Amino acid sequence: MRDDPSVIALVARVVDGDQQAWNEIVERYSPLVWSICTRYQLSRHDIDDVGQGVWLGLVEHIGKLRQPAALAGWLATTTRNECLRVLRAARRYDPDGLPAEDLMPPDPDATMIEQELIEAELNAALRAAFAELSQPCHKLLSMLISDPPPAYTEVSKALDIPVGSIGPTRARCLGRLRQSPHLADFLSDAAGDVGARGTTR
Amino acid sequence: MRMAGAGLSDDELLEALRQAIAAREAVPAEFIAAARNAFAWHDIDAELAQLTYDSMRDAEPALSTRTEAASIRALTFTSGHLTIELEVGTESLVGQIVPAQTALITVQPMSGTETNVQADEIGCFSIAPIPAGQFRLRCRSGAGVETITGWIAL
Repeated sequence: MRDDPSVIALVARVVDGDQQAWNEIVERYSPLVWSICTRYQLSRHDIDDVGQGVWLGLVEHIGKLRQPAALAGWLATTTRNECLRVLRAARRYDPDGLPAEDLMPPDPDATMIEQELIEAELNAALRAAFAELSQPCHKLLSMLISDPPPAYTEVSKALDIPVGSIGPTRARCLGRLRQSPHLADFLSDAAGDVGARGTTR
Repeated sequence: MRMAGAGLSDDELLEALRQAIAAREAVPAEFIAAARNAFAWHDIDAELAQLTYDSMRDAEPALSTRTEAASIRALTFTSGHLTIELEVGTESLVGQIVPAQTALITVQPMSGTETNVQADEIGCFSIAPIPAGQFRLRCRSGAGVETITGWIAL
């Protein structure tokens, strides 16, 4: 989320040279960078190029961010600019000399970036909340979100709990997830987006 | 806006969680590793000189004639203390530090070994051959000011 104090603390640690804090930022936001790249339909090679530009750029600029809490926004904008740079370079060196319009996929507009941003921050909060669940809850929910979803008889066998208690345990674990401090602040704004997301995919 | 606790059903919350985990799993391990490694380029002692002009990016296409379009590429990096101007020739990079001063210029390639060149008293230096991959320039002025450019790929 935009004014997450934990992001401000992470940025401060990175500025002091803390590699672990940097890794946490990468862990939290690399899905954002990655998903924006895929929206631009870049090749894997180009995505690596963009990633390099984005993260090296962050290393350079992290001490100068006007609002450290807006780090995700900075990353989203920088990723978009890097994607456009790579696309422009590809167009310049295109051997067939096709007109630009034929080669450039339509530029996903700022709305897309904003959507990716909201989604990425929500996802990061969900993952952080999930990571802090108790072991039994973590195991159960991990199984339930696997693809394809397992039958309750399988879950019962794998986790050694009666089929009849899976439903109540699921509800209790999701209740714990809901109460996580990571989500408590966050979801109050984004709840509408989560619901919408669930129905549009 | 609805409150999350009240607004999201258990099924919706579980689906949101599934998507959050899937979004992370979609990112290749090498992409993450490269991002982590980028931190090795952290340099707290030098002031960053940002790219403020790139003839390839900033030149106005409508105004450029054929000859201008074919002219050499020019880049300008600016920090609070100095400006580094670069021109990309056919075989070398020619640069100048403004205001004019002697300096030690270190070419830092992303992969490969560093090389040093000296900027003379009017701030001019030359780098040959032109670095192949991504690189940046670290400039230590005679007065001891450390400046580093953003990454350059030519």
